[in-house]
Amino acid sequence: MSVAQDRPKTISDTLTRIIDMSVDTYYNPYKMFEWPETLPDEQWWMTQELMSTYGTRYHEELTEQQLQALSKWESVHFYSLNVHGIRELLIEVVKRVHMPGFEVESEFFHHFIGEENEHMWFFAKFCLNYGKKIYPDRKMSFQIEENEADIESFLVFSRILIFEELVDYVNLRMGRDESLHKIIRQVNSIHHQDESRHIAFGRELVKQLWDRLTPKYSAETLKHIEDYLKRYMTASVQSLYNPAIYKDAGLPDPYKMRTDLLADPARRPYNNKILKRSIDFYTKKGIIHDGDFL
Amino acid sequence: MPGVVEETAQIDQVRQWLVEKKPEVAGQEIDLDLDLIENRVIDSLIFVDLLFFLEEITGRDLQEAASSANAFRTLRTIQTEILEGG
Repeated sequence: MSVAQDRPKTISDTLTRIIDMSVDTYYNPYKMFEWPETLPDEQWWMTQELMSTYGTRYHEELTEQQLQALSKWESVHFYSLNVHGIRELLIEVVKRVHMPGFEVESEFFHHFIGEENEHMWFFAKFCLNYGKKIYPDRKMSFQIEENEADIESFLVFSRILIFEELVDYVNLRMGRDESLHKIIRQVNSIHHQDESRHIAFGRELVKQLWDRLTPKYSAETLKHIEDYLKRYMTASVQSLYNPAIYKDAGLPDPYKMRTDLLADPARRPYNNKILKRSIDFYTKKGIIHDGDFL
Repeated sequence: MPGVVEETAQIDQVRQWLVEKKPEVAGQEIDLDLDLIENRVIDSLIFVDLLFFLEEITGRDLQEAASSANAFRTLRTIQTEILEGG
């Protein structure tokens, strides 16, 4: 039996359904948006409840003008994270588009690559049009030893899923927030529309990749994977707190502000909400055993 | 050249920070030449946090200095290429 035939029917059914949806709802992003020449600084650029200061004394003490300035840079920073995150996930999916073992997913990967490239384009365009920059990617990769290929694929698609679910939490709320400018709502809601398909696929794939690991690897190896995923989720939430955005908003002591916000217990419920869907998914599947780690 | 660089208060701050962030390395001697990457004291998930900490104590934007993983290989390279660089 070939690898493709060996895959459970659920993923084929999911793939057929979401590929059909991709084709039926295809849009031309290059014609879809009406980009205003400029956006006024004096407005909310991000839903207040999604700002990294929300619920803390910083949020209470800043003036509305300061908060609106901060919301601009938080918004531009969020799309910058999307640009870098999408670039990284594209590299990994392109590597696997015709890799043995992914015959069933190959057709979907082609749609995924096309759609993600378009998302990267409109997020980058927003940053460059209205922020005049894309915040730089500060991450660094340290290669020590390579994981087994099946563990590596599981981790790659887990990182993609966690990233997409985090982003989607924000997109869904910003897309519906009537206090935001139309173009801000639009980039968020369009992204949410496509990501719901990608997330549905990602969950099926991650479940199946995990089911192949459990009979093969020791409890110790599986624990290493669990620990890595928890640390990855923590780092993903922390990436929303960047001293550069506090500095661009003209606020004093931007590094101290980041440290204070990350340490503030008032932020915990908001951090947990952002990743609740991922944590619930990985806990329910038994991949992680303690959901209270953020 | 190993041995020439003298430990500074800043490098001790970095050492303390690493111990605080990675409790599993507490009790280990993090000397100036310990390979922090091979010994998994520094990895990709802790890197951004470390970078912001180094920017805070140096007061400098380290975007350019932090473009090579080798600059973070030991406390000595962090001292010579990051803290004393630029």
